[in-house]
Amino acid sequence: MSLPITIAKQAGRTLLLLFFAAGGTILLVRFAPGFFSDTREMDAEYAQAARAEIQEENSRQQFIGRIAIQEMNSWLNGDFGLSRQYHVPVAQLIGARVRVSALLLAEGIFHGWLLAICAALPISALRKGAALWRLPFTILLSIPTAAMATACILADAGGPVLVLSLLIAAREFNFLRSLLEGAWRSPHLLQGRAQGMSPRALMTLHILPNIAPQLCALTTLSIVTALGALVPIEVIFTVPGVGQLAWSAVLNRDLPVLVAVSLLMACVVGFAGMLSTHTVTLEAA
Amino acid sequence: MTKRIAAVILLLLILGASLVFCSARYDYAYQDRDAIMAPSTAPHWTGTDELGRDRTVRVAAALLLGLTGAAAAAAITTMIAACFGLLAAFSPRWVAAILMFHSDAFLSLPWLFLLMMARSMLPLTASPFETAVATFLILAALGWPACARAIYRGAAVLRSSEWMIQGHACGLTTRQLIRLHILPHLRPLLLPQFLICVPAFIVAEANLGALGLGVGEPMPSWGAMLLELDNSALLARSHWVYLPIVLLAAVLLILESFTSEVETNA
Repeated sequence: MSLPITIAKQAGRTLLLLFFAAGGTILLVRFAPGFFSDTREMDAEYAQAARAEIQEENSRQQFIGRIAIQEMNSWLNGDFGLSRQYHVPVAQLIGARVRVSALLLAEGIFHGWLLAICAALPISALRKGAALWRLPFTILLSIPTAAMATACILADAGGPVLVLSLLIAAREFNFLRSLLEGAWRSPHLLQGRAQGMSPRALMTLHILPNIAPQLCALTTLSIVTALGALVPIEVIFTVPGVGQLAWSAVLNRDLPVLVAVSLLMACVVGFAGMLSTHTVTLEAA
Repeated sequence: MTKRIAAVILLLLILGASLVFCSARYDYAYQDRDAIMAPSTAPHWTGTDELGRDRTVRVAAALLLGLTGAAAAAAITTMIAACFGLLAAFSPRWVAAILMFHSDAFLSLPWLFLLMMARSMLPLTASPFETAVATFLILAALGWPACARAIYRGAAVLRSSEWMIQGHACGLTTRQLIRLHILPHLRPLLLPQFLICVPAFIVAEANLGALGLGVGEPMPSWGAMLLELDNSALLARSHWVYLPIVLLAAVLLILESFTSEVETNA
């Protein structure tokens, strides 16, 4: 299949994924208990007439189709609606936080991969005792993200980037190690070793160029892992990012914010998937 | 060998926890008002929490609840995945494509985010037992896509095998073929999926609990026990506060060793 068709197919899938995410979120939130409660109803500042208007506004949101149309209109307007919790346009709320989360994700993924590569390179070449060297990563895998974040706060050392990096490193280390172990055992490398090539030359001239496309594809998958860990990390470290916003929106049934965050997540995941498919297609070509 | 040692340790942990839970003087919810945030004493071996509840009993109950809930959820998710994968494999192509798209869509969205959304949609008045059941049911309901894709691929390969054609030619129905031939052949695929799900669900429950969205109080769970670590006054008084996290890491290490052994054998 040609590259443009593959990309078009992937783009179609991403669009469908976006609709799926938006529809799923609207359904979940609409049927959540407490969806129709409004804090303004308890505010004495609002007159009886205003409260009746709020109740009428809420009753209009009974129908899922109407909610979906409202949401679509707000997306087309570009403001993604008004947050029920903060009474601010959602685009403004998310815009301020996206940069914080993106920076955290980028730093976490970069440091995590650096750590995983630095550990996997020597360990994959070991013939004995590799299990012992793998132990720290196995232990890291056994600690929930929230516990790791709490431990960092208690020890007054490290921060959100360290926790995210350790999580990514622990998750990707095993993939990397098996990838490198396979590369070390390939016949052309055995030949190179038999001819007396140094491990450094083998690594830079043969192994890394060979596994580079798989590494790129794996990096995009790390984004999904990192997104999942974003919520507990941002909540525990009180980082004003998208994860923390999503958590507070979930607790307050803030539908416009939740739909926007779901769409954002689906966009990132869809884009990562496209990037990974594109890398693999290029490699095959 | 590693698997055997891990199984023995896990069995000992479960037996110990059951013994503590059944023979304890206090219930996990009993509040000893004279021993609030107490260090290790004779009646409370590992001290008490900020409400005076015995930590030993609570940790034992959390271990049993976590393992039972995660194992049950893993069994349900493996079952859902098997049904979904087999349905896709034995349906026309367009049905399989739709089913697999749904599985991919679930798979591609961040797991914890989905869990958090689904869990928070439960009524606030639910009892602790109901929240525990709901939490693990949500884990089961959201954990199937990766497993379903693997089963779909496995079943699709088996469907076109020669012995399947022979079975069809002999007059066996698709249902009989699935029950008698496909499922036994898929067992080496289903068991690792189950074993992978158990630690993943324990970690997910702990993360949800740490966000205040897990099992409701006073029922003890790993997530609720992790919340104790936020209490600096409690941390200053006793090192036993760290017991839940140490035990949780140990249990997850044991379960990870099962998973890695099964993956190596596969």
